[in-house]
Amino acid sequence: MTTQTKAKLNYVDTVGFGADVGGRGFHIPVDLSIRPDGRIYAVNRSPRHRLGIRVGICDVNHGWYHEFGSDGTGDGQFTGPTAITHGPDDRVYIADEELNRITVYDPEGEFISKWGEQGSDPGQINGPSGLKFTANGELLVVDHLNNRIQRMTPDGEYISHFGTTGKARGKFNLPWGIDTDAQDNIYIADWRNDRIQRFSSDGKFIDMFGSPGREEGQLERPSDVAVDQEGFIYVADWGNQRVQMFDSDWNFQQSVRGEATVSPWAQDYLNSNQDEAEARTRFNSIIEVDTDDPHEASSRVEGYLWDPTAIEIDPEGRLIITDSLRHRLQIYQRANE
Amino acid sequence: MTTTESSTDQSLVAHLLRRAAFGGTTQELDHFANLKYEKAVDELLNAQDTKSIPQDVIRRYHIDQSDLRTRPSSSGNWLYQMVTTNAPFPEKVNLFWHRVFATAQTKLIQGKAMSTQLDMLREFGLGKFDELLLQLSKNPAMLMFLDNQDNHKGSINENYGREILELFSMGVGNYTEEDIKECSRAFTGWTVENTDYMTLKMRNNTMRPYGYVNWQFKFDPEDHDDGEKTFLGETGNFNGEDIIALICKNPATAGFVARHLYHYFVADEFPVPQWPHFEPKDPAAIKVMTDAYFESGYSIKAMLRALFLSDSFKSQASWNARVKSPIELIVGTVRLAGGYDGPSQDVYEHITASGYMGQDIFAPPSVEGWMGGADWISTGSMVQRVNFAGSVIGNLDNTGVVALISKIKSDAGSSSSSESLVRSCLKNLGNLEVSDETLVGLVQFTINATLRSSTEKIPSANARPDQNASNTSDQAIASLLQLIVSTREYQFV
Repeated sequence: MTTQTKAKLNYVDTVGFGADVGGRGFHIPVDLSIRPDGRIYAVNRSPRHRLGIRVGICDVNHGWYHEFGSDGTGDGQFTGPTAITHGPDDRVYIADEELNRITVYDPEGEFISKWGEQGSDPGQINGPSGLKFTANGELLVVDHLNNRIQRMTPDGEYISHFGTTGKARGKFNLPWGIDTDAQDNIYIADWRNDRIQRFSSDGKFIDMFGSPGREEGQLERPSDVAVDQEGFIYVADWGNQRVQMFDSDWNFQQSVRGEATVSPWAQDYLNSNQDEAEARTRFNSIIEVDTDDPHEASSRVEGYLWDPTAIEIDPEGRLIITDSLRHRLQIYQRANE
Repeated sequence: MTTTESSTDQSLVAHLLRRAAFGGTTQELDHFANLKYEKAVDELLNAQDTKSIPQDVIRRYHIDQSDLRTRPSSSGNWLYQMVTTNAPFPEKVNLFWHRVFATAQTKLIQGKAMSTQLDMLREFGLGKFDELLLQLSKNPAMLMFLDNQDNHKGSINENYGREILELFSMGVGNYTEEDIKECSRAFTGWTVENTDYMTLKMRNNTMRPYGYVNWQFKFDPEDHDDGEKTFLGETGNFNGEDIIALICKNPATAGFVARHLYHYFVADEFPVPQWPHFEPKDPAAIKVMTDAYFESGYSIKAMLRALFLSDSFKSQASWNARVKSPIELIVGTVRLAGGYDGPSQDVYEHITASGYMGQDIFAPPSVEGWMGGADWISTGSMVQRVNFAGSVIGNLDNTGVVALISKIKSDAGSSSSSESLVRSCLKNLGNLEVSDETLVGLVQFTINATLRSSTEKIPSANARPDQNASNTSDQAIASLLQLIVSTREYQFV
């Protein structure tokens, strides 16, 4: 008899701090991209408030570099940023679902170009929500209101697309996040179908996983997916306020609810606000909640993930989660039990 | 007004929908008019929402309505529900309770707590009053709003103990100052988790370091005064639940709740502070409801059912006798214009407009809520009301308005007169009834607009009243609709 070894996710650290008017920290980060040198680019949605709309650049060691972008429709600005990714040319690509455009920046955040036209014809986009470069340098755009994935050149020239509206295999219902694996297979978080779909690099359906529910292995409105070098699949189970890990055959490994700690940036804030620091000595961040609603529970427990919108794997194999409504990143690392 | 075994007069149905909902489209009016009145009432009272925009969709596109930090986010989220639900009665009841159990995000800072309170009202607002009062007393937003986290064993804070008696259940004159103290003692230890930190965060008004943490009720036995108390003439080691039981069996509570319901659903009463000094305007209506209260074991829904079936409610004297609150005006108008077919930034414009008209949802002016009645109308608010309603109902870029105009033209017929076109508009705006003077003005406007549409000439003041209006342009009908929602009559409910 053989015993299957299960992988385990270990909590590593928390990076971040609520900064709703800019500066070191985040305000509702909704996606991130990790440069080969480990720098994390987190794009902040900052709805309503809008002063915090920007990209913040940091690293897992709490280093803060700078920020770029702001609220607006001008070159280099965005109003509804949803996705960010690095290209093989080291450029940064940001999707805006309200302006229906992709903006291109250099690594320092200087505006280079923009493209995109709203519509449903090939090459037009409607609500871009996810971006990912393939191994051969083509840009996959999750064209979510058109329920399709478009393959474009980095300059926005249409190449091909796959997917239509529906529930059958290969069809989508408001897809969101995207990733590729070492074989260049494509994974799509098929948000309102409560599943992840896997396609070959040329867009042929391979398989899919997920059924709606709150049990282990079930999904509720998954918003993003990430695959590590060994093929383990991580799903931002947005509606269940957790991240789940599966092996490459979709065997459930573990689910994490979040266990954030006070980051150095947050500690700096508490150090300069002694009344809060003092009251916090009596603060129990993990209370036993009296609700079954994951979203409500997350609103009451500071350490939990609250709208874990996007996930990425860094060069060291660490899982970085955008803990959107808590304005921070929670970091985990896989280990075999 | 006529009701038969199988149908109900449209005007009565329109009255019912204005009061128990947010008015009705012609489809809704036709549907309920085809029912016996009692059945129409029951269907309205027991409808289940199957149509409102799902919260996950709203939260994806309005991420601010996921953490609900700001007031436009929390109140806008409620507006979505009010506009898109196909079970509007519970939302109307939620508005009623929000007015009675006035709680303000302006003090609490975090909108999530308000949203959680709304969820509680949605679940218990039509149930038994003792259960509702218990849930209210455990509701973190209410506890923090009325400082019950500062109500300690041996050092009471009377704020909640006073208001639960004065404003939420019995009314002034039905208890003593000593009862307030004893009531407050019974609610000691009713607080929220992490009391100190949460109180400080509320006071400091800061989302740092990691956003607001929503509150959760906590009973602290160490801080609870378990000693003997005398309340409303009875003595025992009462806790909060016992106090609520004593309150709810008291006839004064039945009368107070009934008067509030009458005030909101039938006709404007005196302002609440004056109730101890004036008898209810309609004692018969109050009795119908207090009887239902006790017969049903304190059921709010039973009280309202009895009220809607009463002659007091059905009487034509109560039709169009109340000024629409800003939210009633906004929700009703937007629903007539087709509502929201998905997430839209319009929701923020609309909820902001409500504030300009004098009703900031989740920010009542005091613990007594909004006074309502004639207070809704001022020079400034009237301009806001007319501009808002006109901009929504006259927006031809809105597919809902285009569909409404198409229905109006269809109902008016292919060779309609200007008057029949006006009457079709009135019918499609919730069976709105207007004075003869208003009708003449609207018809004259239509004659002029029709002439303008067909000849592109300046209309004559002597245009013939039987001018065929079937070719009236959509723009002209939109203008007519704008004029109708600007009338005095449209301001009433």
